[in-house]
This record gives sequence, C-alpha cells and structure tokens, in this order.
Amino acid sequence: MLKKDNMPEAIHFELRRIRLVLAIMLGFLALLGGMLFDLQVRRSHEFEESLHRQSMRRIRLPAPRGMILDRHNIRLADNQPCYCLAFYLEEIRKPGKWKHTVAEVQQRIEALAPLIGRKPAITEDEIWTHIRRRLPLPLVAWRSLDQAALARLAEASVDMSGVDIYVEPNRAYPRNELAAHLLGYVGKADFTDDEMAGYQYYLPEMEGKMGLERKYNSLMSGEAGGRLIRIDASGYKHAEQMDKEPRAGANLVLALDSRIQELAEAAIRDVPGAVVVLDPGNGDVLALASSPTFNPNQFVPIVPKVLWDEFNRDPARPMLNKAVAEVYAPGSIFKPITALAALNSGLVSPGMSVNCPGYYMIGTKPMKCWNPNGHGHVDLRRGIEQSCNVYFATLGVKCGNDAISDMSVQFGLGSKTGLDIDREAPGLVPTAVWKKKTWHDDWRVGDTCNFSIGQGALSVTPLQMAVVAATLANGGTVYHPRLVLGMQDWKGNVLTNYPIVQVRQVSVPAAAMRAVREGMYDVVMAQTGTGGRARIPGVEMAGKTGTAEYGEKEDRKKHGWMILFAPYNKPRYAVAMVVDDAVSGGLTVGPRLRGLMMGIFGASDVEKEAGG
Amino acid sequence: MSGFLSNLGLLRRMNWVMLAAIIGLIVTGVFFIYSATVMRDDSTADLYRKQILWALAGLVCYVATTLMDYRRLRDVAWGGYIMALILLVAVLFFGTRIYGAKRWLMFLGVGVQPSEIAKLAVILVGACLLSPAAEKFGRLPPMWTIFLLAGIPMLLVMKEPDLGSALVFLPVVTAMLFAAGSPIRPLVTLLAGGVLVVMLVLAAVALPERLGMTPEHQGAFFRTIKLSDYQRERIEVFLQPGKDPMGSGWNKRQSEIAVGSGGLTGKGFLKGTQNILGFLPRTVAPTDFIFSVISEETGFVGSGSVVLLYGVVMVCGLYAAMVACDKMGRVLCVGIVTMIFTHAFVNMAMTIGILPVVGIPLPLVSYGGTFMVITLFALGLIQSVYVRRP
Repeated sequence: MLKKDNMPEAIHFELRRIRLVLAIMLGFLALLGGMLFDLQVRRSHEFEESLHRQSMRRIRLPAPRGMILDRHNIRLADNQPCYCLAFYLEEIRKPGKWKHTVAEVQQRIEALAPLIGRKPAITEDEIWTHIRRRLPLPLVAWRSLDQAALARLAEASVDMSGVDIYVEPNRAYPRNELAAHLLGYVGKADFTDDEMAGYQYYLPEMEGKMGLERKYNSLMSGEAGGRLIRIDASGYKHAEQMDKEPRAGANLVLALDSRIQELAEAAIRDVPGAVVVLDPGNGDVLALASSPTFNPNQFVPIVPKVLWDEFNRDPARPMLNKAVAEVYAPGSIFKPITALAALNSGLVSPGMSVNCPGYYMIGTKPMKCWNPNGHGHVDLRRGIEQSCNVYFATLGVKCGNDAISDMSVQFGLGSKTGLDIDREAPGLVPTAVWKKKTWHDDWRVGDTCNFSIGQGALSVTPLQMAVVAATLANGGTVYHPRLVLGMQDWKGNVLTNYPIVQVRQVSVPAAAMRAVREGMYDVVMAQTGTGGRARIPGVEMAGKTGTAEYGEKEDRKKHGWMILFAPYNKPRYAVAMVVDDAVSGGLTVGPRLRGLMMGIFGASDVEKEAGG
Repeated sequence: MSGFLSNLGLLRRMNWVMLAAIIGLIVTGVFFIYSATVMRDDSTADLYRKQILWALAGLVCYVATTLMDYRRLRDVAWGGYIMALILLVAVLFFGTRIYGAKRWLMFLGVGVQPSEIAKLAVILVGACLLSPAAEKFGRLPPMWTIFLLAGIPMLLVMKEPDLGSALVFLPVVTAMLFAAGSPIRPLVTLLAGGVLVVMLVLAAVALPERLGMTPEHQGAFFRTIKLSDYQRERIEVFLQPGKDPMGSGWNKRQSEIAVGSGGLTGKGFLKGTQNILGFLPRTVAPTDFIFSVISEETGFVGSGSVVLLYGVVMVCGLYAAMVACDKMGRVLCVGIVTMIFTHAFVNMAMTIGILPVVGIPLPLVSYGGTFMVITLFALGLIQSVYVRRP
C-alpha cells in the first residue's frame, strides 16, 4: 500500500488532472441546470402558450333557437331532433397513410347504406375535406334518419365502433304551410369573420332568411357558446371541455291565432289572394294569409334548387306575401273613406239624395255606374249598400280630392303600417302634386271621380285595408297592426311585451262614422246588400265589397275585395280579403268570407250570438 | 470457492451513494418509459416491463463486475477490441436498418448496437495502453496510437451512419489521455483541431446555401464531402430552428415546448400533454426524448434532480478514479465517467435545444436493453476499482 508521502509526484499530477476533469463536467452539468431553469421557470409561459396554441381548438356551438308561438302558445316554429349518423374518426383511424382511414370510412359507409336505405350521402372528396379541415369533429355521413332506419341500425350486427347517432337540432314548422309567409324560413348561416373570431370550427347553424325568422334572428338565435377540444398530434380529438355554455334564444309570441290563421288560409287556398284578420280593439294581427303559399319545411336546411326555380316561375308568385307586399286598386271598398271625407267636409249630409241614372257625366264624358240601369235616388246609406258609383263621384267632386286623400292618409293609406315584416309596400294615395310630378299633368275632375270610387292611381295593400276595416269597426282609432306580442325565455317567462300602439284617432264627427257604419251594416245584412253572401246566422256584421279591374283592359280581369267587421256592435274581428281574377267582390269574396266568419265564430259562438 | 466468498466481502466496500444514484436513475427511467408508452396500444405498451427486466439483468452484471478484478481485463482487452471491430464491420453488412441507418445487429431477437460495445472496448484498451504494466517502461505510448485505436471504430460508426455515437469517442479519449498525464500542448492542439473540424462541417452545411449555390451544386458538394442528407438536415435544423417546423425541426421544437411548459413542478405523472397527445413523437419519446417526458411531467424539480443524480454519479466515479490503487483503475474510471457524462450531457442538451438532435440515448434512463447492460457493466468496473482501493 502506498502512503501519501511516498506517493510519486506523477500521481499527484494525475489526481490534479482528474479533479480538473470533474470540475469541467460539473461545470457543464451546472450550465445544463441553468438552461433548464431558464427554460422551465423563467420562460415557461412562452412554451405554455405555444402548447395551448397547438393543442387546443375552440368549436362554436349554436344556441338552441327560440320557438315561434301563436297567441295561445301553439308552436308554429320549433326545433326537432334530427338524427344523423356520424363517424368518430379518432376511433376508426387506421395506422399509416390517411388514405387507409378514408378507405375504411368509405367501406363502412357502403356497409351501412343498405341499412339506412339511402345511397351514401358523402363523397370521398368530402371525407378528405373533413380530415383536412374539421378532423376533431364527428363526420356526419347521413342526416335526418327516419325511425325505420334507426330501428334497423339498432338491430343490425354490423361493426358500429366509432359510429354514433348524433342529434342535431333542426328547424321544423309543425303546422307546415301555416303562416309560412309570416314565419319565413331558416337556412345555413353564413358566418362573418367577426363571428368566427376565436373559433377554429363551427357546427352547422341556422339563420333566418325570410319573414319573422329573419327579422327577429338575433333575438331568437341566442348566444353561441364554445367548446374547447384538445387535439393530439395527428389532429384527432383527445378530450373536450365546455368553454362557454350557449345561451338559448328567446321565443317569439305572435298575436296570431293559429285557428283563425288556418281558417283564413283555407278561405283562399284555391285562388291567388290574401286575407288579413285584425282585432279592431288593439290592432292584433289574428291572421294574415297569402295564397298560394309554400311549406317552409321543404326549405330547411337548404332550399332545393328545383323548388326554388319552380316558385320563381310560378306567375302566382307563392313566395310573395300578397297581404303586405302587393298593392291593389281597392275599388269600392274605398268608398267608406270617400263618404267620411265628404261628411267631414260639412258639404254633404247623410240624408243628401243623389239621382243615379246609371252614369255620371264628367264634362262630356259619361262614367258608368256598375248598374247600367241606375240606382235612382240614393242617400248615403243606400249609396254604400248599393255601392253606387254615381253617388260617390258626386260626393268626391263636392268635397274635392284633397279631402279624400287627407282622409285616406288618416286611415293609414299611402304609407307602411309598420308591420314586423320585410318588404311591406306603402301603396299610393294620389294627389295633384303627385300627378304633376309623376305624369306632368294636372289633376282633373275625372281623377277625382276615379279616386272617389277607389280606382285610378290609388293603391293599397290588403293589410292596409284590414286596418281601415278595423278603424271603421272601432269607430275611428287607427292601431298599429301588432304581429308580435312579446318575447319569452325558453322556460316561458316573459321577457318583453310589445305594447298596443294607437297611431291616431281619425277626426270625423261621430254622426258621420255612425252613418257610414250603418251603410256598411246594410251591405251585409240588408236583403239587397252587395255583401249579402257573407252573412252568417246569428252574427251581425258590416262590410263593403269591391271589384277592381287590373291588367290589360281587354282581359277584363278583376280583383274581388271585401272588408268586414263583426260583430257589428262590439267588433272583435276586422277582415280584409282580396282575390285575383274574381267575378266581383260580392260574388267571389262574399262566400269565402262567410266560410271564414262561420269558422271564426264557430257553431257554439253563432248560437250564443244569436241567443244574445 | 473461498476466494469468491472473500470477494463477496468486497461488496461492503462499495460506493453505496453511487449505487443509490444509479438505481434512482433507473427507477425514474422505468416510470417515464411507462408514461411515454401509456397511450400506445401496440406491442410497445409494455416497454417499461422489458426495461425492468433489462435493468435487473444489468444490476446482476453490475454486482458481478464489481466482484471481478478489473486488472484481469488486461488479458482480454485486446480480444474485446478486435471483437468490437468485427461487429462494427458486420453491422455494415448484416445490420438491421432502422430509420435509414444500420446500427443494430440482431442476436436471438435481441438488438445489439456494436457502437456501444466499441466505446467500452476502446476505453479498456486505452486504459491498458496508458498504464504500462511494468513501471520500467515508465513512458506513455505516443498519443497518436491512442487516437488511431479510437479512430478506426469511430470511422466505422460514422459509416453506419451514427454521427452522434462516433463523436462520443473524442471526449472519452481526450479525457483519458489528459488524466493519464499526457503533455498538455499536443492535446490542446488536437482538441482545437477537432473543434475546427466540427466548425468546418457546420460551415460546409450552412455556407453553400448562403453563398447562393444552386441545389444541384449543393448536392454535388455534399456528396463530395460525404455528409448524408439526414446528417445535414439535422445540423441545419440546429442552425435554423424555424426552418422546417413539421420536418426534422419538429422533434426539437416539440421537445422544447414539452420541457418549457413543464414549469417548476411539472404537469404530473401521465399528465404531460406533449407526451400524451403525441406531439413528442411516440417513437422516440421512450428512448432519445425520455428527458423531455420527465421534464414536462415533473418540471424543473424533476429535471434538475436528474441532472443532480448524474452529478452524483460523476463525482463518485471520479472519486473512485482518485482513490484507485493503480493507474489503469484511474484511467479506466475517467474513461467510463466521461462516456456516461458525454451521453447524458449531449442527450439532455439536445432535448432543450442547445445541441443538435443526434440520437444519443440517456444512460440508465432511456429505453434500451443492451445499452442498459453495457452501461451497468461499465459502472460496475468503477465499483470494481473502488472496492479495491488501498
């Protein structure tokens, strides 16, 4: 054994060198430790960020869309589960190249197709697109499976690993065509970059494309939520967590009464036309129908091109809401306004008698009354009942066209009623100024005569005429037609109520209003009244018929009109109906309104009214 | 027999601190190999169990080596060296190709990397040459003989190609020469030369593109200097980390994110998202990138502890060198400690992105059967030296 003192010098030398080697190594290890500290403690947050960026994805989750309900909470637009068959690619992935997985998916689809009873709905390209762009999401192979297909799938013995029935909310209109023009429809939402900011993926979402669905889209669609998914290195979903719960949209409660709406639609189902039923006491839109119509269910989730083209070619224009977006010459149903204008002017009294020889001379040119034999001597009541053109031309000329247009404007003609529906037409109330500007011509007596009997440039929408009917019914209060009563949350708690809005009080003497109403009473209730065909047992009603020519003169095409309110003493319903290609208002529209009113009052109601 | 029993008594003289550090590293390795493979559903899922078996085999080998007198290796060192050379040549012909390189020889279903055996063989031969048996010779053999002895296997390993393993020979031989008392000046000259060569290689990789050579000319140039595409790629990635985020740079980048996002205390066992989500490539996570997994899941506390454990092994190993009863023991310990240090340092440094990704495993921790046994055999030699200290 060597003692330290007799150790050769060389060994001391070597030991010093070994210590140096150790020092160098420990120095390197210390350096490593320092680097680790820098990386893991000082700069850790940088790496956490990049980690988050590369492994977290946020999916936009649509909120349940609010329903549309009628005034009795009957569902007009609803969300129904749509069963989709989806593949979870992370469960059926094949090792190696993507094409193996794609081939596997295709094979699975082929195998499932006979069970579903439908051809494969997605192509190879779509699978590739899904892999490239939405890998962590389920791949939907078929949408809207029916019950039979679901049953076959449940019993089948095919490999269902990685396959799931996935439920997607689908907009449905349980009453099909009912109020289609008002409700509108929804379609696939187009996201703006702003809405998509912060989301990497989104689920199919619906947005209103027409009608109330569009107008109230933001309120009904609620607030989209988000779900965070963590993806693995190959891009498959690894885990998920809720980021933000979507907030359900609000339900829209309409003033509409679906029973009356149904009756209204039935009344004009076979002819192009429109009908509006208002509550004269508050302006509530109880029914608003346009014919022909469409079934919004056929438009969800996308409008089939064939159908769209067909609708666009149809001359009856089924997509057009004729009750608000189409204008017509009102014809004789305008006469009550002429009467009120004349009475209001003080130049005419209800008892004033006019002789009708069957024509009215405008200068040297005769204007025919609809009855070529003439009505003889008529007063206001009889003039309205018989709809005598000569009588109203006389009144018009007496009070002047300005008085008539002023009265028309007071009744809300010539401007939009402000119903919650897009594309409402304002119609037109002609004036001398307007004629000068548009036709570069002076206003003549003939214009006044035409105006007096609801012809000429005057144009109105059925909704406007329903407002007129309601105003006559309640004795002169113009209400804003209220289509939406309010909003409620998904539990049914009321969020907002839209108030009843009185637009104005028509300024006419009470006696004048009474006289016009009496004339309108006779139109329906008198034996000789032009609207007698609308009469129903037990309910006193008042109305006015009208017939207005349209199109080329040689075609002799006529719109049939009728406005009506009932019951006469305490009106609950004010109706306006127009029908294309009619014989006359009394003959064509009268019976249709009779059917509608019979339905509205119902058998028991009719008896009750009769009894009371 | 009685000799063997008396040898058993030597075990009491063992450096227990070093053994504890070694076992600590092995256990850490097993746990995180489990973590790195837990998401895999193929045959590699039970890698950690195989590692336990290999570690047990290695520890038996370790004890046996401790009991064996290292001086008797003088007789077999040259035979081992020749054997290693034969294996290195054989791997070039019969080797199994994995990821484009022939590094493995299969024996009865067990893969062996001849380069690992060669490193040990060079250390043994070096230790013998640098400690002449008879003091009468007194003088060391010329430095070039040692470099020649290391150079032959080194070139063969480069040929596989395995640049990383080949480069390990340099610090090992240098440290052994230094510890053996070689004159400092030629050693420094050689070292400077080596650094110069590395610089030149890096420049050769980086410059042609910067100088505006066409891709064809670059290709021809690289063929002339015999730098394979994958080597060049890895060096390029090291020089320009952002260049190829989904290609060769991917591992480096993901490893950095894993280590960095571990923070101070880590995300918890089996909770390392980089590892579990497979951003750390699953093929290398249990082997070359095991340190990333450890760092991500245990944070700086864990990664620092691993560094510390290696520090303990270095200190104990070189302490054994200092108390060794002869020069062969001293040089042998320095060689082995340097080999393990080089592996550990290069591996951890590449994990955190300060050295290129060269594919060197982390001793005692990375998954790998033969490397585990060879490492434990080498560490056993250190104990063999230690227990025979005066």
